[in-house]
Parts: sequence; structure tokens; C-alpha cells
Amino acid sequence: MATTETQILDEVIVSSRRRLMMMSGTALAGLMLGNSTKAKAEATLTDADYLNFALNLEYLEAQFYTLANSGQTIDQIGIGIGPGTSATGGGTVIVKPSGAASCKVPFTIPAVASYASEIASEEQKHVNFLRGALGASAVAMPNIDLYNSFNAAAAAAGIGPAFDPFSSDVAFLLGSYIFEDVGVTAYHGAAGLLTVSANLGAAAGILAVEAYHAGLIRTVLWGLDQANPGDGIAATTIKISNLRAALDGTNNDDIGLATAQVSLNTSTANFTASTIVNADANTIAFSRTTQQVLNIVYASPSGAKGGFFPSGLNGNIS
Amino acid sequence: MAVLQRTPDVTEQAVQTDGLLRIPITERGTLVRNVDELIRRALTRRNFLVGAGSAAALAAVGCSKTFQPATTPLAPTTTLTDVDYLNFALNLEYLEASYYLIAATGSGLEAADAGNGAGTVTGGAMVPFTSKIQQEYAYEIAQDELNHVRFLRSALGSAAVSAPAIDLENSFNAAASAAGIGSSFNPFASFDAFLVGAFVFEDVGVTAYHGAATLLTSSTNLGAAAGIMAVEAYHAAEIRTLILQAGSTYVGYANQISALRATLGGGNETSLSLTSVVACDPTNAIAYARTTSEVLSIVYATSVGGATSGGFFPAGLNGNINSTTP
Repeated sequence: MATTETQILDEVIVSSRRRLMMMSGTALAGLMLGNSTKAKAEATLTDADYLNFALNLEYLEAQFYTLANSGQTIDQIGIGIGPGTSATGGGTVIVKPSGAASCKVPFTIPAVASYASEIASEEQKHVNFLRGALGASAVAMPNIDLYNSFNAAAAAAGIGPAFDPFSSDVAFLLGSYIFEDVGVTAYHGAAGLLTVSANLGAAAGILAVEAYHAGLIRTVLWGLDQANPGDGIAATTIKISNLRAALDGTNNDDIGLATAQVSLNTSTANFTASTIVNADANTIAFSRTTQQVLNIVYASPSGAKGGFFPSGLNGNIS
Repeated sequence: MAVLQRTPDVTEQAVQTDGLLRIPITERGTLVRNVDELIRRALTRRNFLVGAGSAAALAAVGCSKTFQPATTPLAPTTTLTDVDYLNFALNLEYLEASYYLIAATGSGLEAADAGNGAGTVTGGAMVPFTSKIQQEYAYEIAQDELNHVRFLRSALGSAAVSAPAIDLENSFNAAASAAGIGSSFNPFASFDAFLVGAFVFEDVGVTAYHGAATLLTSSTNLGAAAGIMAVEAYHAAEIRTLILQAGSTYVGYANQISALRATLGGGNETSLSLTSVVACDPTNAIAYARTTSEVLSIVYATSVGGATSGGFFPAGLNGNINSTTP
């Protein structure tokens, strides 16, 4: 029985851990994660590497939403960004020249302000959770760019020469759109690589939350687009999705907000459906490798550091 | 997206690469003596990475808060396989697909999608949509859930169970009564009512797939299940957002349903509000997971142990997972 198996494996892991604890300090240090600063081959990546990869993305999301919600960075509200359990010692966040406080979005739609508050809180919790889970192995927050990155993305996507996601309700939602579907694909890709059942459970649970966020953002954007057909909101999401699909090299794993003809329980595609869900032909959410995710957040089809992470991610997956 | 292997391959894979599943282990002494072998199997269980790095992962992450050693006694050696969990999921997809297809078009699954000897569907009618966008939402989710049915049936091949009997009328009335909404509730009466009916299912789907994720042994199956779970979460967020837009009456209904699900399904609920669209634990913002028994309690609408039918499934689920914990 699989539940039995899970319990057995947990026990195995416990006894394995205890044995390792009894090893000499040197031997143990050699086994522990996070001590190697050298790049590791893909074949030796561990759960901690994948969780640290996720932590980098959560730093990015938490900073974006916290700035949008309150005009503060996460370290300003007491969330640790340093290596291990250190509160300080992390990278810096580049924001627009008028400063962090000016990033608080001038919301005019109360519901959108509420959504920003909720998502900010949840992404902060993800940072805290992953840092707590990783303990001494947690990587510090890398340098994050929330200014030049959006401008460059807008130019690359063909949206315009500049884009300030902190300037309005819709701009904020479009900025969110850039992140959330990527989070889904990143956790989806990592799920099959995690070795410890508890880590897999946690990652799956965070994956679901990112999908909730994506579903929320996409539903609100689609509603606004349909109510304001001249604003080109859905068209912008398509451009963002196309850019992501181009950066990750597939050109076919990202679906913007639009309509699609579906057949339902008939033989002809006579029904016009929305595309709130970003998924493949089987309606299974897309999955991305860490390299594909890096290409997107670096805004580089070759994976060169840049974009939202001008100095790259911290950790062994960068 | 890689397509799941058909059943014989899944079974073969389980036997060949996952011998642990097939070995009935009834004594902890045996387990401890074979610890190294079991670790090896654990590390290859999902095409896992091998070598010192993985051992280190166990060491380091084992020290972390994500790790929780099992304290419950070993269960009897009834062997549930990936096929059983996927068939469990298929039953839930039949329910969702039937609900959305009937709401969208007035008719449910075609025979080819329901399987040989499929059960009958009671109740349901096309929703009187009043705008194009309402129809677009309904059509999309209906197609999504139909695709899930087709995907799982294809993946399971000849091992796929047929659709069980499904009740979309008495079930909703009973749920409304149990939740304190009223003596009856027709989710097909209006678009807003349809949203509340959808609310009954979507968050449950997320918790069911989340609970199953750590039980699946094949990496391919895990990947597919995680991807379907994500889609259910997209749906859940969409429905929760639209219910907020529908207004306080419907938010109230949804939260009465949520409270009922919490009673039946081991808690695992987040009340819907403008600042809690996402259903997740309030400490870590991680979505809830439910056991198959907790899911069955909700869809059978009963807190009785050992229940094998009721609620949306008047003749029970088809397959090996069909009973709440005795």
C-alpha cells in the first residue's frame, strides 16, 4: 500500500539521517548542502537545490507584491533575506527612480487592492516557509530588478518602450500575470525531481497556490478586458505569453487570454470558450525545466543572467 | 506533455523500478535490516537522481521543518497502485465533466467518454446564461474537465473504470439542507447558482490531487497529476473570484458549503472573502491536501465510517478506492 510505503520511506529517511548525524563533522559537512559554491552538474542536484531555486523565485514575487501593496520591500517588514537564518545580507532591489514608496499601486478598484494584499501575504509566507525549511542552507535574496526588467520585457514583447507595473490596477495585474504562470510551470517541473515525500507535498501545495493566484489574476484581467474592449488588455497578455514561450525555446507552451473554439460533447467546435486556464491540449498545466524558467526570468533565450535577476540566482541552479 | 503509459506499461514499470511497492513488509525488523536497499529504492522510485547528492538531500532536508517522521502504525498490506489512484481521480472527473457539460449544453458525457455500462446521471439542465462571457467560462471548464476524463481514460487504457451513477439533483438538495442553505438548491437555475455548484467541486479537486501526489509511484503519473491539480486550482480561483463578483448572497452560500466540507473533509477549508480567494493553510500559504477517505466523505456527503456510496455517487465510486475509512 502506497501510504505504507510512504511511512516506511519516512522511517528509512529518519534512520538514515540519524546515522549521518553520527558521522564525523568533516564527513557530514561534505554531505550537507549549500556548502559548495561550485556549479553542480544536473545529475547531483538535490532537494535543497530545487527548494533554493524556488526560494529565489519567491523572493522575486514577494518583493513585487509587497512593493505593490505597501510600498515597502520584504526586509522592511521583517522578512529575512540573508543567507541561512540571517535576516540581513541579501541583495538589493532596483525599483523605479522615485523610490520604493512610490511603488505602492494607486488602486482604484477595491477588489484588486484586496487581491494584491492577499497575494503579497501569501508570497511572503512562501519565502518564510522555504527559508525555514532550508534552515542554514537557505540562500540569500539575490539582486532583483523590478524596473529595467519590466521596461525591457515590454520592449521585447512589443508592448511599448516602457512598462510600470506599479502605475495602475491593470498595470499591476499585468505585472502579476508575468510571474504567476511561470511559478506554476516552475513548481510543476520541480515536482517530479524532489526526492523527499514531504518536500514533494509542500511543493505541490505551493504549486496549487501559484495556480490559484494565476487563475485569480487571469479571471480578473479577462473580466476587465471584456468590459473595456478598447483597452487591449487581453492582447497584452498574449504578447507576454508569446514572449515567455519564445524565451523558453518552445514557442508553444503559454496561452494568453483569448477565446478558443471547443467541441464539448459534440463533433464540431461550435462553442466559444475563454482561456482562463493556461494548459496544454489535454488541459494539463504546462511544465518547465529550471533552464527554461531561468531563460524567462533572465529575459534571455540563452540563459544569460539579467532581467529580473541582474546578478543571477543564488544557489546551485543559476 | 508526455502522455501517460497505458496500463500494462505502468504496471510493468511499477514492478521493475518500484519493487518496494510489491513487497509486503509486515515487520519493522525487516525494514531496518534492509535500510540501505530501501534507500536505494526510494531514490530511484521516481526516476530520482542517484548518488551522494541525493543522500545529502535526505540528510539536509531531513533536518528541516518540511520533514515530518511518520508516527502512525503501519497499515495492512492492501496494495493500492497508481492505477487505483488514477481511477479514483477519474471518478471525480466524471462527476465534474457531467456537471459542467450538462450546465453548458444540457447533455452530459457521450457514451464513448463514459465507458461501457456507465451509470445513469440524475438531474441537471442547461443553465440559462445571460451573457457571452458567462457561456465562455462554462464552455471552457466543461471542455477542460472533459479533456481530463479523456486523458485519464486514455492513460489507464483497459484498466479505466466506467462512469459510475451520478446524482446532480438530490445531492445538491441534501447538501443545501446539510449546509443550512435551505431545503433545496438547483445549481442549474442561474449562472450565479451554477458558480456555487462549481464551488462544491473545485477546491475538493485540488485537495484530492494534492493528497494523491505523494502516493503516486511513477514520475510520469506524478507529473500529470500535478498538472491536473494546477488546472483544478485555476478553476477554483476562477470560480471563487466570480462568486465574489456575484455578491454577498452567493458568497454566503459558498461559505456554508465550505463549512460543510470542513465538517466532512477534515477541515482543510479557507472561507471565501475578498482577502482570501486562495484556499490554503494560513501559516505557510500551502494548499490543503486530503486523504481519499476525506474526499469520499465529501462527495458521499456522509461522516459515516465505511461508507461506500451516497451524495453525488448514489452507487459509489467505481474502482478499488470507494470506501471511507471504517
